[in-house]
Amino acid sequence: MIAIRTTALTRVYETYEKSDGIWNSIRGFWDRKNIQKIALQPTTLEIQRGQIVGLVGANGAGKTTLLKLLSGLIHPSGGDAEVLGYRPWERKNEFLRRMSVLLGQKNQLWWDLAPADSFDLLARIYDLDRRLAKQRVQELATLMDCTQVLKVQLRRLSLGERMKMEIIGALLHEPDVLFLDEPTIGLDVVAQNAIRQFLTEYVKNKRPTVILTSHYMDDIAKLADRLLLISRGGLVYDGTVDGFIGKTESTQQIRFRYDSPLTDDLRVTSDEVLKKGAQEFQFRIQTKQLSEVVKTITGFGTVHDLKIEEADFEEVIRQFLETESRVQPSRNTH
Amino acid sequence: MLIEFTLWFAIFRGVHQLSIGGYAREYYLSYVLWAAFVARITSSWMYEFKMIEEVDSGSINGLLVRPMTFYEYYLSQLLGYKLITSVLSLIFPITVAYLWHLPTDFSRLPLALLLVTYFLILVHTISYCVTGVAFFINKVHSLTVAKNLGLWLLSGELFPLDLLPPFWRHILLNLPFSSAVYVPVGFVTGRVGISDVLQGFYSVTLGIVFFALLGNLLWTKGMRDYTGTGA
Repeated sequence: MIAIRTTALTRVYETYEKSDGIWNSIRGFWDRKNIQKIALQPTTLEIQRGQIVGLVGANGAGKTTLLKLLSGLIHPSGGDAEVLGYRPWERKNEFLRRMSVLLGQKNQLWWDLAPADSFDLLARIYDLDRRLAKQRVQELATLMDCTQVLKVQLRRLSLGERMKMEIIGALLHEPDVLFLDEPTIGLDVVAQNAIRQFLTEYVKNKRPTVILTSHYMDDIAKLADRLLLISRGGLVYDGTVDGFIGKTESTQQIRFRYDSPLTDDLRVTSDEVLKKGAQEFQFRIQTKQLSEVVKTITGFGTVHDLKIEEADFEEVIRQFLETESRVQPSRNTH
Repeated sequence: MLIEFTLWFAIFRGVHQLSIGGYAREYYLSYVLWAAFVARITSSWMYEFKMIEEVDSGSINGLLVRPMTFYEYYLSQLLGYKLITSVLSLIFPITVAYLWHLPTDFSRLPLALLLVTYFLILVHTISYCVTGVAFFINKVHSLTVAKNLGLWLLSGELFPLDLLPPFWRHILLNLPFSSAVYVPVGFVTGRVGISDVLQGFYSVTLGIVFFALLGNLLWTKGMRDYTGTGA
């Protein structure tokens, strides 16, 4: 059963160049240079119910725009979308009751209230049975080991504790569709792991449809069963995490040490030169070059501690993002 | 309020008359007392600033994804806040009116306060319109200041509207803004009758409908252009 369907969904942001000085500001009222930025190119996709989709891309690639469109925060410039049978930007209450958005970089709970009070308010907003909602809060807080902070003002909590509270707030009404935008951003490794572990358990038990964006590839690798790679507003890969690694040109990290420093610069590949005076080396090569490179470096001297490591998902994605994260082209109109 | 009290004392001393516009000094003092109280209820610059800030900063996202409307969310906050502050501050004018024997018909107070509460819905609807403008223009707080200044003049907070020439009095009484101060205060202090209060309810209703339509238009267009990162 399909939970999310988009057909040529597009979003173009329109803004204008503002020249400096007061005169130019006034002039801008009638004579301005408009800029159109394509945040999302026509995108067609289908996501099955219960699927967990990792959405990955460089900054400004269009991930958050897609999430905002699907959660009804913004209107599209073209195309159409359906989430649980609703057009998101119509923002019907029946739709909003069945989905949830967690924006890792923004507080959605009430800053001056204790989380327990915020959850009580949310229970009323979502027309939940208050006793049941309290019970659900306790369950979720126990799972995330944060029951002790439920009655402390949100503003007095640490970033990690606040994020846990935000997650409880997002899951309180047990949404069928969950949009998670950077749920672990800015957290330390311990907090990241705790939240990752909790989300893994939660999606396994409740089976909501999830779209997850994260800069931490561990989030995607551990949670997602489908990967969408987005670049310059367009989808460039749609498949599994393993499939993406397999499809990408495989690379290897090679490390070694000579028994004495080199007396000359020595070329290993067209890109890699071992510098004179150095003794330890580390660089990345394509897998197909491996045997040739090993032969070459052993020919230069006695090699010790040779280590060859395959690139992991994080590394593959990092390389992909490095290649793709260039300035997006804009269209200027007068 | 003390300044206005002093002013009316000075005016009556200067004109050497026992009444102005048919009302004795005590009526003006009572008007100033109740106008100060009612005007505090019917102004909402603080909530309007908060609403504008939500759009400016993009924190409105957190509200847009909930099954409720921005309008009703802030209206409930405003009414809740005003209920508590009004009930507490009501002690002051009642005490002063009682101790100074200022003309006040306490039996009329519930209906007057009902009109004031109803007017608060209009105030909030105007705030909703101003917030809608924030989708298109930055720093629309200046509109709040201009709007409050307009209300101050048109509502009768500055002086009782019956002191105006009949033509202007007629116009202002038919506008909903007189229901912010002049009509409810005049009703409690014996300057206007029940028919003016009913007219007040009628004109406030028209005002709510007008500004609701305008707000709806601004928000529909604003949401279409909104980028989800603040205006």
